[in-house]
Amino acid sequence: MTNTDTKTFILFELSGTTYGLCSQAVQQMEMVEQITPVPNAPLFVEGVVFSRGQVVPAINLRRRFGFEKKPHDLKTRLVVVAHEGRTIGLIVDAAREFVAIPTNAIQPPPEAISGLSGKYLQSIVRLGERLVLIIDVDEVLNFSDFSVPAPNVA
Amino acid sequence: VSKEETSDDICFAEFLDDYYVECEEHLAVSRQSLLALESFVDHPHIDRHLLDELFRSFHSLKGLSAMVGVHEAEQLAHQMESYLSVLRKEQSQLTATGVDSLIEGVKTLDQIIVSRRENVQPRDIRPLLVRLESLLTAGEPSQVPSETGTHGGDPNAWGLSTEKSAELAAALQKGARAWQFTFTPSPVLAGREINVNTVRQRLQKIGDLIHAAPHVKDHGQISFVFLVTSLAEEETFRFWQQDGLTYDAYEAPISPPVNEVKADSALDAGTGTPLAPSNIVRVDLGRLDELMRLVGELVISRSRLDEGVKRAGTKLPAPECRALQETNQAIERQLRDLREGVMRVRLVPVRDVFARMQFVVRDLIRESGKKVAVELSGQETEIDKYVVERMMDPLLHLVRNAVSHGLELPKEREAQGKSSEGKLFLRASTTGETIAIEVEDDGRGLDAQAILHRAQATGRTSFAEENETITLLDVICTPGFSTRDEADRASGRGVGMAVVRTVAEELGGSVALDTRPGFGAKFTIQLPLTLAIADALIIDVGGQMFAIPQASVHEVIQVDPKAVTLLENNELVPYHNGVLPLLRLANFFGMSGHTDTTFFALVINSGLSAVGLTVDRVLGLREIVVRPLTDAVIRVPGVSGATELGDGRVVLILDATALARAARKQTKRNWATAACDPPADTALYVDAGRGELRP
Repeated sequence: MTNTDTKTFILFELSGTTYGLCSQAVQQMEMVEQITPVPNAPLFVEGVVFSRGQVVPAINLRRRFGFEKKPHDLKTRLVVVAHEGRTIGLIVDAAREFVAIPTNAIQPPPEAISGLSGKYLQSIVRLGERLVLIIDVDEVLNFSDFSVPAPNVA
Repeated sequence: VSKEETSDDICFAEFLDDYYVECEEHLAVSRQSLLALESFVDHPHIDRHLLDELFRSFHSLKGLSAMVGVHEAEQLAHQMESYLSVLRKEQSQLTATGVDSLIEGVKTLDQIIVSRRENVQPRDIRPLLVRLESLLTAGEPSQVPSETGTHGGDPNAWGLSTEKSAELAAALQKGARAWQFTFTPSPVLAGREINVNTVRQRLQKIGDLIHAAPHVKDHGQISFVFLVTSLAEEETFRFWQQDGLTYDAYEAPISPPVNEVKADSALDAGTGTPLAPSNIVRVDLGRLDELMRLVGELVISRSRLDEGVKRAGTKLPAPECRALQETNQAIERQLRDLREGVMRVRLVPVRDVFARMQFVVRDLIRESGKKVAVELSGQETEIDKYVVERMMDPLLHLVRNAVSHGLELPKEREAQGKSSEGKLFLRASTTGETIAIEVEDDGRGLDAQAILHRAQATGRTSFAEENETITLLDVICTPGFSTRDEADRASGRGVGMAVVRTVAEELGGSVALDTRPGFGAKFTIQLPLTLAIADALIIDVGGQMFAIPQASVHEVIQVDPKAVTLLENNELVPYHNGVLPLLRLANFFGMSGHTDTTFFALVINSGLSAVGLTVDRVLGLREIVVRPLTDAVIRVPGVSGATELGDGRVVLILDATALARAARKQTKRNWATAACDPPADTALYVDAGRGELRP
């Protein structure tokens, strides 16, 4: 099989499910250290971090997908995504795999998948026993559907 | 072959970049001079220095434009130069039409150059050329210079200095003939080792090389034109045409007015003041940004070092420790000097901005029939190049507003007992780390009633109950707000007051309005001197550290919770002779804050607009490197940026202006009762228990 027939992905775990992100969009993966909260930012914004001299928002992907929040642990990772001039960090439960997937194994998502996370799906892949949900980077980074809470002016 | 061509292209592109920059400089100079020239209308004698300067600018513009093949600019500059030459010889008196035409000329040159940069068709300059031509004939009909620039870059139009003309004349007297050779390099010729240098050598063998110049053809191809005097027969070089070297007999212009112009210019180009002093280096702003960023990194590294030295200090013997501390302090001082040095490089005087403003005023005067006297002060005040470029359009908008809406028509003014001539003040000044630019007129001022009425009519009723000066600014800064039903030509050009305020605040500045109906209006724009690095107070709010630029904090006061009075949900504390409304930062940021212990209030603004931001503790004063919050998802009210204090953690920078505005909205009913005007010089940074703060 030649290179042209595969696409590379970064796999990460979120609430027991494996997701994939197009590897070109991923700038780096970091341990989650100090996150500075940003007051009055949308709920899924956990705060900001420094990454390569830049102030980058850290998005809690559990919150973003409507899952329950979970305290950070040693496996928690910040996946820094650079997409269309923006740089954004996604907090995920775990991330460590880099895989090449044959393009013909990438399937469109079944229409029946609904809910918040269904909206962010680009395609699905079966990797042996595992099902990998490929994320639509555009949609995940499109925050226009969330309104920013107004500051508390008493 | 293709490789060679691309490297030529790159060369030419760089050449063009230089061209734009140089033109911009010459246009800026000529704008200044033209404004000064205006006062000499109908005077028999004009300040010679002024004319010389203008002449030099147009002469350079013409030469530069010819070099890169922007023919319209070359022709126009030439015609303007000719008119100035007539004025210099006092063959004609400067008329108002003359000044108008020159100003129109400068504007058109600007447009032509912009068109070239953006690769669009430049506007038709023929009417303007005719206008300038007629000015010449009005002076002395017999001296009308022939239209020499029609073929732009035509080597016949090259001006020879007096020396070279003399050289040419002498050679011709000796029986030599003048030839004009044109050499167009090509990769094929280069392969035969025929290039500019070998051609030059060849020409020098047959005679004297009087002049040489590059010439750019329409499709961007470069050729070189040489003027040679030679005693050699034509046969000698007839076959050189095979080598890409064509020739023509050179006809020296007979009693050429153009040459007279050149003769005049010899004093400028030759021994006189050089056009561009050689000790000036032009630097790309991007490189300075990079330099500033590196200095910023150094500042952060030093604060890390500082922490390290403090920690090591407890373990080291005293003498070693002292030596380390001294070095550390020396680095701090040097870093400060370095930072200031880099910052100074970025500063430019506001003079050019003011000149552009005056140009706008001139146009408006003509359109509106108003009389306006512009008074300037602080033209030499320096400001960051980036800041000034971002503020250019907003400032022009304020000026347009002042003239077209603020100032009244002469009759109207007289009826109100004002002098028929309106006054427009443009002022700039620096205080500490901020620069203030004021645009003030003595016109009709802002009519709060009319503006509120208008706001209500357009559905912006949330302002209905506010009619104070400060909230007036809020109303007019609402996006889409306009007191005119139809955007007129003067003010309807894209930026409204909303943009003025947004840009100022994005740059870390603020806008203030002071108006009295019937007496005029004053807009004051405060801007930071530089963007990247600032001194900031580090504060603690609800357990989280924040930074706030020191320049925006008027004073820090300690507040006893018992002294807080509650008035219709608003907290007020006694302050100087009045009261100060408080904004609980912890509350505003949705954090838990305690209200029962002694706390601190940072006083933002002064006078009636003063508000106090409550904080738990003030931790210190630090030099911070300001980083923008680039992503919209983290841009929240009251936060303007972020910084790092050396431990890798992000600290948010508070936006004092936005917070003060939020506080004013909160206290909109009561703030007028907070009548107080604290003396400005009593600012004191209260020690928060760490002993690190300085007054």
